[in-house]
Amino acid sequence: MFRLTVDDKIKTLVISSLGYGQKEIALNSESFFAVRLLQQDGGLDEVVVVGYQQIARVNLTGSVAKVSGKEIANRPVMSFDQALTGKAAGVQVNTSSGLVGDNVIIRVRGAASISSGSQPLIIVDGVPVTQGNDGQLYNPVNTLADINPNDIESVEVLKDASAAAIYGSRASAGVILISTRKGQAGTARVTYDGYVGVNTASRRLTVLNGEQYNTVINKMRAAAGQTPAAAYADFNGDGTIDPVSTDWQDEVYRNGLTQSHQVGISGGTAKTTFYASAAYNDFQNYIIVNRQKRMSGRINLTTKATNWLETGMTMQYSQTTSYGLGSGTGGGLSGVPFGPLTAYPNIPVYTANGSYYLGSGGNTVFNNTPNPVAVQNLNNDTRQTQRLIGSLYGEARLFKGLKFKSQFNVDQLMGNTEQYWDKLVGDGSGLAGLAQTVNNRTYVWSWTNTLNYMAKFGEHDINVLAGSEYTRRRGYGAYAFGTTIFDSLFRQIDAANFASVGAQNFTTVNNGLASYFGGINYSFKRKYIATINVRGDAYSGFGRDNRWGYFPSAALAWRISQEKFMQSVTAIQDMKLRVSYGLTGNSNIGDFPSLATFAPTQYADIPSLNLSNPGNSSLRWEKTAQLDIGVDMTVGKNIQIVLDYYNKKSKDLILANPVLATLGFPGNSIIENVGQLSNTGFEIGINMPVISKKDFNWDINFNGAWNRSKVISTNSNNGDIFGGNSIVRPGYNMSAFFLIRWAGVNPSNGLPMFYDKDGVRKQYDHLQPAASRWTKVDDGSVTTAITATDRVVHNDKTPYPKFLGGLTQNLRYKQFDLSIDLQYSFGAYLYNNTLQNLMVTTTSRNKSDELLNEWAKPGDQTDVPRLVWGDNQWWQTSTRWLEKADFVRIRNLQLGYNLPAQLLSKISINRLRIYVQAQNLYTFTGYKGMDPEANSNGNVNIGLGIDSFRPYLPRTITAGVNVGF
Amino acid sequence: MKKIFYSLAVLVVLTGTACQKKVTDDVVPNDRLSNDLAFSSAQKIENAVLGAYNSLQNAGFLSGRALLYVDLQGEDVFDKGVFFGDAARFNMLSNNGIPAAVWTAGYDAILTSNRVAEGIAANASLLTTQKASELTAECRFVRAVSNFYLVNFFAQPYVFTADASHKGIPIITKSFSTSTPEANQPRSTVKQVYDLIISDLTQAIRDLPQAYTSTYATKTRATRAAAASLLARVHLYRADYTGARDAAKRVIDGEFGTYALRPTPNGAFGPGNYQTTETVWSIPNNVNDNPNTNAALPQHYAGNGRADLAVSRSFTNAATNTYFAADDRRRTQMLAAGPAPNTAFTFTTKYPDVATRADWAPVIRYAEVLLTYAEAAAQAATVVDADAVTKLNLVRDRSRVSAPAYTVATFPTKAALVAAILGERRIELAFEGHRLWDIMRVKGTVQNKYDNDGVSLLPAQPFGANKSIWPIPQAEVDKSRGVLEQNPGY
Repeated sequence: MFRLTVDDKIKTLVISSLGYGQKEIALNSESFFAVRLLQQDGGLDEVVVVGYQQIARVNLTGSVAKVSGKEIANRPVMSFDQALTGKAAGVQVNTSSGLVGDNVIIRVRGAASISSGSQPLIIVDGVPVTQGNDGQLYNPVNTLADINPNDIESVEVLKDASAAAIYGSRASAGVILISTRKGQAGTARVTYDGYVGVNTASRRLTVLNGEQYNTVINKMRAAAGQTPAAAYADFNGDGTIDPVSTDWQDEVYRNGLTQSHQVGISGGTAKTTFYASAAYNDFQNYIIVNRQKRMSGRINLTTKATNWLETGMTMQYSQTTSYGLGSGTGGGLSGVPFGPLTAYPNIPVYTANGSYYLGSGGNTVFNNTPNPVAVQNLNNDTRQTQRLIGSLYGEARLFKGLKFKSQFNVDQLMGNTEQYWDKLVGDGSGLAGLAQTVNNRTYVWSWTNTLNYMAKFGEHDINVLAGSEYTRRRGYGAYAFGTTIFDSLFRQIDAANFASVGAQNFTTVNNGLASYFGGINYSFKRKYIATINVRGDAYSGFGRDNRWGYFPSAALAWRISQEKFMQSVTAIQDMKLRVSYGLTGNSNIGDFPSLATFAPTQYADIPSLNLSNPGNSSLRWEKTAQLDIGVDMTVGKNIQIVLDYYNKKSKDLILANPVLATLGFPGNSIIENVGQLSNTGFEIGINMPVISKKDFNWDINFNGAWNRSKVISTNSNNGDIFGGNSIVRPGYNMSAFFLIRWAGVNPSNGLPMFYDKDGVRKQYDHLQPAASRWTKVDDGSVTTAITATDRVVHNDKTPYPKFLGGLTQNLRYKQFDLSIDLQYSFGAYLYNNTLQNLMVTTTSRNKSDELLNEWAKPGDQTDVPRLVWGDNQWWQTSTRWLEKADFVRIRNLQLGYNLPAQLLSKISINRLRIYVQAQNLYTFTGYKGMDPEANSNGNVNIGLGIDSFRPYLPRTITAGVNVGF
Repeated sequence: MKKIFYSLAVLVVLTGTACQKKVTDDVVPNDRLSNDLAFSSAQKIENAVLGAYNSLQNAGFLSGRALLYVDLQGEDVFDKGVFFGDAARFNMLSNNGIPAAVWTAGYDAILTSNRVAEGIAANASLLTTQKASELTAECRFVRAVSNFYLVNFFAQPYVFTADASHKGIPIITKSFSTSTPEANQPRSTVKQVYDLIISDLTQAIRDLPQAYTSTYATKTRATRAAAASLLARVHLYRADYTGARDAAKRVIDGEFGTYALRPTPNGAFGPGNYQTTETVWSIPNNVNDNPNTNAALPQHYAGNGRADLAVSRSFTNAATNTYFAADDRRRTQMLAAGPAPNTAFTFTTKYPDVATRADWAPVIRYAEVLLTYAEAAAQAATVVDADAVTKLNLVRDRSRVSAPAYTVATFPTKAALVAAILGERRIELAFEGHRLWDIMRVKGTVQNKYDNDGVSLLPAQPFGANKSIWPIPQAEVDKSRGVLEQNPGY
């Protein structure tokens, strides 16, 4: 409460305080005003970690998106990347399947490359971490799940060249910096955060039931003049046929139990601060054997040893166990959802005596999908990793403003994969039982030295950085297998229990990077700001002459709101214009791409030697030049807006160039610098407090990004590059779909129709003699077949969304809080390979119930041609299976209640919040497949956008508690 | 303070230099060999030659699948498991994975043999003249084998046009180290491809050793007998009967070593029988190096494996397989009903090693040489050729039980003898990669071919039908930017 006497000529009072938004009061006849200032996140002194230094946000010239830890914490997901979905403009996080433990694909401002990695560099407290697959057996794993999301204080995404260039050769695809929590001096605080919940499949495709299956299959067979192939059988041996209808999805899905418990302690003295946590997370998926659990512990410690030396460490140790990753082999016979969607529905799960039913009932066996329940329960596929991510540093203040810091980083990962395929069923039956193990180890160390000078001379702020960094990555694995198991109870690989055993060692990663970098950030009056950065990197994988790459960047920023002429514009409280330009590189290119090598091979018993890589000694760095123009502003009632336009041009793209088989190169590819790619886009981020009252708050946080990836050129003869159903063609959008055009079903005869390349409609009748199956729709004359030459480029249809982002709303009413995270994506297309496979007419596996809409009589308007067994044309690859993948997803919904403080103080509790939340509650989409984000081709740039039997996302409902003592 | 600063600076610079070297220059692969070392000793050169065979041993190619495909499209088996989809129905699309895998593996073997032959020539000083010519001849043999299988999968048979001037496959006679347009060759004519095969095999017969130090190597590496036997087959496919007869005769006469039939028809199959006198040349497999569960011959063929391919009634019924007597030993010893749930189906027992999937691929067996000789001699003669009958009997007699032995008098005409030899060839060499091409080379029609249920008949494939040969893999046509011409109908 304060009293102020003012001249009555003054009409407006402006009240402000550092770190808070300002408030204007119109003076009138009243003499008492209650003023409440709102804390401002983007306050003047907020510092942002960019690269190897901290810079005050006002002096920042780059495009940096920041996500605070509380937006990530307590989400029922196993890795922080999934929680980032929709949180930062221009950052696409694609959860490619509902298999817990599966890879997550992150793209910052589109694809940075055609075939090299486009996954951003991820750095946790200065430690570059291993991500993606890591030496396991066939199934993908997400090694980021080793990091406990609840320890994260903040995540910063460096998007433009100014911010990212200090990371030079690894920064083309953006950089994600993660800071974990640190202690604060003062009384120790103890917290407990926990939740428990259940998850179910968020969607289900429907397939034929037993009766429908018999009808559809036999109808197809009859149409082709063939004998019936589907029938019930007598399963209980009573001499009568038993009509059975098994919904295999019901049998392999369940309500999975999810839980997480974390205890954290933080605190410190003036000299030493600490943060420590211990956590247990367990996600039992809705797929019966799929589960991931993690135990992790963290200690972050900082000590001022003397008045000039500070030392510290961060360390996390975790153990993550993933079960049933094999469930996600998806399209494989033993996979989920392939198994439950394609197994015969007219047979039972169990025999009359309770063992698994492994027969095929009354069906004529063409293709048999093994009993999915038996496969899941009898086989196992477990991967356990132990991971240590840590750093030690010392920072010496040499004289005023000059600091020397030396930090040693370690990321060590040890993994053990054990797989067992039972001899009774599925893939294991052909081998009479198979056990396989992989033990692998990845060890990454890096050593960073920096000199940092910060000074203020009058109105000049200057921040100078120089540093060196050395990084070495090595990874090994040992594989062993045994087949023909004698006793299924003993699964350890041992010649005593297996007819044949074998072993092999392999290298997963072997490379190094030497780097030197420097930068200057200069600001005058905190109004005019300039940044220059440069980094030189030497990568072990290039030939000696092309090893070094240099990556400079420069940026200017102007806080125009500080200018006199802007002072009168009261609607704008703060406004900064930014422009930056710079080069970054991509070193996700494998270990020895330039070296021509031969590898030992075997011709059965005889040792041999074969070319393993044709090599390319002139291979050089792939570089991305990026221009970014941005505005940061605070307008109106503390509405923060960030706008960015960017134009990224990647050139000398390192491409595993698909070449003619007649060159005889392994994998029909050679690594070359080819082509150019451009990504142009616009990003917007708005943070708007809609209502700020004592008892009621409502904030809206919106972000959106438009991006267009275009191919400028490709290989030396500027030829097309193909991947999946997509094409990379100069002048066209990146990875545009390249497909035959479907022309629907002819209502008069039920035949499938396609357009040839010239737009002529042709129809296919499987029942005619081979030479006259293709006819023109218009006149019925016999014509040439629709073939691959009739594919056309669908330039506006790519797997990349045109517009995507998120909308987060936070509401607080008294002690209640509610947050709603929406994620949206528009403009992407997805090839529904799942549905295509569920509608084939050449196998007797179970099929989609869409077949029930088949053409039956002249005049029927339908998209399903008449059913003829053996016809492979009507379901052939075409735009028939290409669908829009637009969606809006209620990613997370959380409702919490904070118990009143006066109540808690009686029981010595600082804070107690209880909440319920739902993850992946609902997805609004017209897409008919598994999920509009489904991706079956892993972390690739061409050939994304194929949905082929990826498990549905789980929908998880949890109840939790946050307690602070 | 200054001292601290300077000593720190010195420390960082010194250790920095060492670190830089450690993370760049010192990083070398430990699982691979830089190519400048690949031909740096006689042993490495020989291993590289063996690498060419290893290329043939590809899981999608000659470790079994290439042989299997020739039977898959014949009428003697049916694709019970619908494992091979459209291929068995002559209904492939141009993006089918089977032709793509065969094409890639075939050219890999050709390019590997070219590369190694160039390596031998460039490092001849490390080898004796004789060794260099032997190793080069092995490379030529591998190239000939690969070209032979490719041209027959991807082009119409030699006899499709009178002068074999129809489209064959691209001929590649050198190796490449960069993605040069030189590798983008149009399809040569079938005659040109056969001419190259004949010239490679002729060089091989001249320069190859008769045997190696181990029987294992003699049966799995190129020998003069193997090259001559393949040359006989090549001439037979060209309908050059005197050429075929003469090449086969050199093998039968023992010019290149002793080859003989085993006493019983099952004597050349299964573990323990791979290295007998009956094997001329096989692609070996072993427990650690085989085409695995989804491509091994025993997996596809054996009743207790994946059991994808069952023997069709066209083969077992005398009505459609005239020369197959009810008590023929190849019926009693080489065919068997499957175990449950496949008891209703018949399978071949030629590939029994389901447990280790190590059955060798019998590319050239002595019985084939005898039957090739018999057919070529019969065709080359104007009357019923006595020697042809003798050789036919060598093969037939070990399986014959109640049927009387053939004599010259059994055959009223030369045509009757040829028909009997072709009938015998179908039975004796069944499931060994001959059937479709044996029909096509005599301009026959594939008929009585059954669909997946083993009951429904597929439409007959007349000689020269578009889809009786495979599509050039669409990806290759795309990459060639029109240089590679697609086969009609695809």
